[in-house]
Amino acid sequence: MDFALNEEQLMFQETTRQFLESKGDLTLPRDYMNGNKQVLEDLWNGLGSLGFMGINISETYGGLGLGALSLVPILEEMGRSVVPGPYPETVAFTAPLLEAYGSVEQKQKYLPEIAAGHRKFSLALLEENGELSPADIQLKAEQRGNDYILQGKKLLVPYADIVDTLIVPVRTGGTSQGEYGISLILVDCKQPNISKQELRSMDETRKLFNVEFHDVAVPSTQLLGAENEGWAILDQGLNYVNAAFASTMVGGIERVVEMSTEYAKTRQQFGQPIGRFQAVKHRIVDMKLALESSRSLSYYASWAAENNAEELAEAVSMARSFISEAYIKAAGANIQNHGGMGFTWEFDCHLFLKRARSLGNHLGSPEYHREKVAKELGWSDVVPEMMML
Amino acid sequence: MDFAYTESELAFQQELRAWLEENLPEGWLEGKRVVPENEDQKAVFLRDWQRKLAEGGWAGISWPKEYGGRGATLMEEVIYEEEMARVKAPPVLNIIGTAMVGPTILQIGTDYQKERYIPKILNGEEIWCQGYSEPNAGSDLAAIQTRAVKKGDKWVINGQKIWTSYAHLADRCFLLARTENTGKKHEGITAFLVDMHQEGVETRTIRSINDRRDFNEMFFNDAIAYDEDIVGEVNQGWKTSLTLLSHERVGVARQTFRLQKQFEELVELAQLLKKNGRPLAADPLVRQNLAIFRAKTKALLFNYYRHLTNTIRAGRPGPEGSMDKLASSELGQEMLAYAMSLQGAAGTLWKEDAFVDQNWQQEYLRSFAYTIEGGTSEIQKNIVAERILGLPKDIKY
Ligand SMILES: Cc1cc2nc3c(=O)[nH]c(=O)nc-3n(C[C@H](O)[C@H](O)[C@H](O)COP(=O)(O)OP(=O)(O)OC[C@H]3O[C@@H](n4cnc5c(N)ncnc54)[C@H](O)[C@@H]3O)c2cc1C
Repeated sequence: MDFALNEEQLMFQETTRQFLESKGDLTLPRDYMNGNKQVLEDLWNGLGSLGFMGINISETYGGLGLGALSLVPILEEMGRSVVPGPYPETVAFTAPLLEAYGSVEQKQKYLPEIAAGHRKFSLALLEENGELSPADIQLKAEQRGNDYILQGKKLLVPYADIVDTLIVPVRTGGTSQGEYGISLILVDCKQPNISKQELRSMDETRKLFNVEFHDVAVPSTQLLGAENEGWAILDQGLNYVNAAFASTMVGGIERVVEMSTEYAKTRQQFGQPIGRFQAVKHRIVDMKLALESSRSLSYYASWAAENNAEELAEAVSMARSFISEAYIKAAGANIQNHGGMGFTWEFDCHLFLKRARSLGNHLGSPEYHREKVAKELGWSDVVPEMMML
Repeated sequence: MDFAYTESELAFQQELRAWLEENLPEGWLEGKRVVPENEDQKAVFLRDWQRKLAEGGWAGISWPKEYGGRGATLMEEVIYEEEMARVKAPPVLNIIGTAMVGPTILQIGTDYQKERYIPKILNGEEIWCQGYSEPNAGSDLAAIQTRAVKKGDKWVINGQKIWTSYAHLADRCFLLARTENTGKKHEGITAFLVDMHQEGVETRTIRSINDRRDFNEMFFNDAIAYDEDIVGEVNQGWKTSLTLLSHERVGVARQTFRLQKQFEELVELAQLLKKNGRPLAADPLVRQNLAIFRAKTKALLFNYYRHLTNTIRAGRPGPEGSMDKLASSELGQEMLAYAMSLQGAAGTLWKEDAFVDQNWQQEYLRSFAYTIEGGTSEIQKNIVAERILGLPKDIKY
């Protein structure tokens, strides 16, 4: 029995924190919000030289060959500093899927670049329905010669402006509803005929775009895994990336607990620190308990990811449903604990609230994940006859 | 990170499982798990179970071998609690004796105390209770007023205790009494081992909201103790009580594992109960709620494992136990309340008329004590705030 980070992982944590502090900590998201895209480049290069872009990439391709648990400390630290950029998408989703399902050419092309911090990925998943079931994937990819021709639109794609490659689930066959017929395609963004429309999101540290594909020709060698068999791969990747998002959120919760604690010790009212009032003090304890439970569930999710455990889907959905809500709540309580100061743009409280909100329903709402837990555990889910109509 | 038990831990687990299968009361494993309601029958039942545990070598497993224990490791104690929760074993009547008083005597007691008390704690011949709380000293325990005054070679004890679990069945009491008034509350307290079978001690059971009589008022009217009954130093009882507390190593594990079991039963309940011919577990809202409880129960378990890992790595427990106690008691209450909701209008039927299983109603009512006994939730929050987060202390008088 051992359920804590090991020495190496603790070292990753320390190194990441030092690195992010040297880069300006919470001024990172601020700068990015103010339009400074260089922030991301610097971060990526820095993390690349620390070896942190290649944690879970095999040594053959320039990585460290470690598992999902070794990402946890780094992700937590990134969450603490509300770091912008598609690190979870690139490192937690793409890297392990390329390792497991990529062709040799794909691995050679992408993995060393990811490990060096020179390539970013994002996921273009959602369509009109905004949901995550197989039936919601309708974007057509028709085979023409050695190419797939993509035609259609993906919504709410994070960081579409700066990523090099998009992972796009498309329909290549089967019926229009089922899992069979879905394929994953790696679309390099230099490709012509891709248009991106920026959307304004309250979380300005995670820019979102609608992406349109107008007869975009992608070589069929860009198919990830077997044709028409992409759903299972996507599902696996979603489990990995959701475990990673869970860890970034834990970092965010940890930070707001610290902010509230610090403020409650120093801010004086009625001649005493506000942390002496139990209404404040106990609220911070509630935040702390939520933090510890969140961290435990996120460890479990990444443990399941690292070991491809049978309970992976359940562990991840349990973590996501719990932590998404815990983060939103803790970030809100943090504002309350800071009074008027917490309501200002100037002060950092809102960065956490907005990040919590933008991740809260991203890749599955808490309700979605709870239903998934129920299914995974085989709780009777007979659909009422009325609802079948 | 891994959850695996070692070979020897697994062997320990197997041994215990085999013993439980042989020795649990008739029908227990099959689900017939009712402790007799009648107080006398209940006392007999609990004493029997205590004796069986002792005979099998399963009472006081953490005690050194020379005193009849198994010298169990912390992990073995944890596994013990896990197994006991899995089969919902009957309560251990002498838990105060085996888990706390015994180990405290072994650590700081005199040779006389070891010889006189230790064997009888383990075999259940003498049942112990813990006399701390008083009408005017609950959360503010150091405010106790029960006095012990030295007269000749005797200590004469006067005062009142309250909420003392199983005092009516107990043979001895681990008692905190004031032996000196220095003006500072935590000073001048002494810990005594008091004989309950004497004229100066009277107990009266108190009926609780679940219609049980498990706890008591105790009245001390010139009750007698001797120097040899003092544990630790005179006037150092507060320190002794902390030593006592430090031996309660796996109380949180017990709660945590019980909740895992309780969650499973909650799901079974939702599968059993039907609305319009369909199991409640198929109702989307119920599924959402169950999934919330699932996450919370698992989180509790993994929190415990993390704290356990810290304890093992550091060689001693940290202050995190308060967080576990706080979270588990609140969650237990929430889940039992939900179990009541699931049972609808018939949910309040209890005892032999209970809708599904009378343990639900019994435990639902019992759960209101979770957040009071052993330090209320508010007190636990203060502890977490002050010792873990370093927030300012409440103003105390
Ligand atoms: C089932 C059961 C078994 C028990 N068994 C034993 C036993 O065997 N031996 C024994 O000695 N005792 C026992 N107790 C007593 C138990 O330890 C006390 O009930 C407990 O410590 C609370 O004390 P109190 O009842 O006096 O409540 P109080 O201390 O009067 O508390 C009343 C309310 O005020 C709140 N409060 C008090 N102080 C503060 C504060 N500083 N800040 C915020 N809120 C505060 C409390 O949280 C609570 O909500 C048992 C209790 C129960 C319910």
